[in-house]
Amino acid sequence: MTHAIRPSSGTNRPRSRSATEYGGAARGFAKRVTFAGIIWVAFASLCDAGKLTVIVVDRSGRAVAEVVATAAAVPPKASAPAAEVATARMDQHDLAFVPRVLVVAIGTKVEFPNSDSVSHQVYSFSPAKRFQLPLYKGALHPAVTFDKAGLVVLGCNIHDQMVGYIYVTDAPFFGKTDSQGALHLTTVPAGDYLVTLWSPFVADDPATLTRTVHVGERDPASTRVQLTRDLRARPEPRPRRTDWEY
Amino acid sequence: MRLCGAMVLVSAALWGPLAGAQDRLSVTGEVDVRWVYATGVPSYLDGGLGTLRFDPDHDGPRLGYALLASRLRITDILTLHVVADAYGDHDRNFVDLSEAFIEARPFPTHSIRWNARVGAFFMPVSLENRGPGWTDVYSITPSALNTWLGEEFRTIGAEVEARWLGASQGYLGDVALVGAVYGWNDPAGVLLAERGFALTDRPSTLFGGLGMPPTTFYHQVGRNPGYYSGLTWRHHDRLEIRALRYDNRADPSAETATAFAWRTRFSTVGARLEPTAAWTFIVQYLDGDTAVGPNSVIAEQFKMTYRTVFALTSFEWNRERFTARFDDFRTHQLNGFFGPPSNDLGHAWTLGWMHDLGHGWQLAAEWLRVTSRFPPRVEIGESAGLIESQTQVAVRYRFHLGV
Repeated sequence: MTHAIRPSSGTNRPRSRSATEYGGAARGFAKRVTFAGIIWVAFASLCDAGKLTVIVVDRSGRAVAEVVATAAAVPPKASAPAAEVATARMDQHDLAFVPRVLVVAIGTKVEFPNSDSVSHQVYSFSPAKRFQLPLYKGALHPAVTFDKAGLVVLGCNIHDQMVGYIYVTDAPFFGKTDSQGALHLTTVPAGDYLVTLWSPFVADDPATLTRTVHVGERDPASTRVQLTRDLRARPEPRPRRTDWEY
Repeated sequence: MRLCGAMVLVSAALWGPLAGAQDRLSVTGEVDVRWVYATGVPSYLDGGLGTLRFDPDHDGPRLGYALLASRLRITDILTLHVVADAYGDHDRNFVDLSEAFIEARPFPTHSIRWNARVGAFFMPVSLENRGPGWTDVYSITPSALNTWLGEEFRTIGAEVEARWLGASQGYLGDVALVGAVYGWNDPAGVLLAERGFALTDRPSTLFGGLGMPPTTFYHQVGRNPGYYSGLTWRHHDRLEIRALRYDNRADPSAETATAFAWRTRFSTVGARLEPTAAWTFIVQYLDGDTAVGPNSVIAEQFKMTYRTVFALTSFEWNRERFTARFDDFRTHQLNGFFGPPSNDLGHAWTLGWMHDLGHGWQLAAEWLRVTSRFPPRVEIGESAGLIESQTQVAVRYRFHLGV
């Protein structure tokens, strides 16, 4: 991928060692350590530049995980073509798509292995990608290329309760919020960005789920979005009842 | 058994070219053996008018059931389903079929997905009989309502379902409309009139019938095809509502040498709520009527109304499942009195416990008590009012084979 999403490096503050640890004889050494610390702090600040953090919380201020966030430059900038085709995986496990929500860049090849003991028939009739994977288990079918931006809703023709989502984006920076409700995008060049949020469980009007954020040359940028409507019920992992629904 | 033989031949013919394909043949087998302690009067399965499957003369170690449910995927969209079962209740055929049908389910190309079934199958109405062969996943014995639907009804015909897949429109759920046209179910209603409601895990099979002598239900007596139409709404994976209108449109004056046509109609509506993965609540209600005899002599035509409702709550925790259910049922005869009225009035309490032993093994225990009043029992020397109970402990083994 051209723009890999890496975990946040966090704030790397050097640990200043007290000169008293080494006794009075170590005063000169301590000065050198302090000087090195100042240099390191400056370096860390430079590293923070290009970092964009998106935080999503619900009406009560609790973190909301698994929300897709994309960041696109405003005005749009031409991005370099991808050096190699990215691949991603949408597994099927315990009659559910894993992950339930996958966000990929345009052009990504997505594999659909079936790790269940029963067969699945995966399909999508979403305008962004129509495809059908006839009855299979394991990794029978080749990866599917998602070449158009948009939301692709996945289903299984045998198990209607299986629903998955692939969010195909042309934005250069993207990811999903973690269990803390946060997404840390690194290597974001300075500039203005339109941050867009999406989740099948967020009921807020999509028009209210965008923010314009300025990423400075030196300072990390962040935006915190508090949802105004209750989340839709999120399907829980259900025990297998060996259903044979009629 | 000719149909049974034909199914075996079709399966064998399809098996060769499909061998080695991806999970084309899927077979689920389950065996249930149990220890039973019962109080009350002889069961209707043994010629009495008791409302339970077992009675004091037929308790102790028993076969609950043995079933083989197979699915053969003929093509990606065509599947043959066959369920063969054995119960050991003095049945005419020790092994019989309870379902055999072909299902067509094309890949959806837009938000409406079509599904069709042709053959013999259960109607899509129960919220508790979610297992193969009308088995209940919450306890051993289904409610009076679903016991009756498993006993006297099988769709022998064609069914079409149109399901709106909400996920594609941003809605976490779906809505389905279903309709069916069928025949060969004209005697449905006779058991309810002769016995009242019962609580058993003993659905009828296609060729064997129920009781002693066996009452059979799958005949075409008149010429009219029956229908049902229904609605299913699944909301957010937490709530499912099902409603269905059934009318076999039988001509109540029609009869053959072996069976009468019973005009049986009912409406049923039910809801299953699963607010969390652990809790399940189900309520289902059914209301209808049935009639037999010439329309020209209304006073002599047997006519009866009936209604039943149950409420179930179930809690699943790790390997345990605990279930409690209350049933209420009644029938009321309106016409055609030639003896005590077929006015059944009763209620039942069921407590169930299931323990998953792992590797396909399951332990199931159930206590069931039925209090009922049915005047025709007097004619066979029993009291009209009865309290019957049944305690069962079952060991089950389920296996799955896929080729």
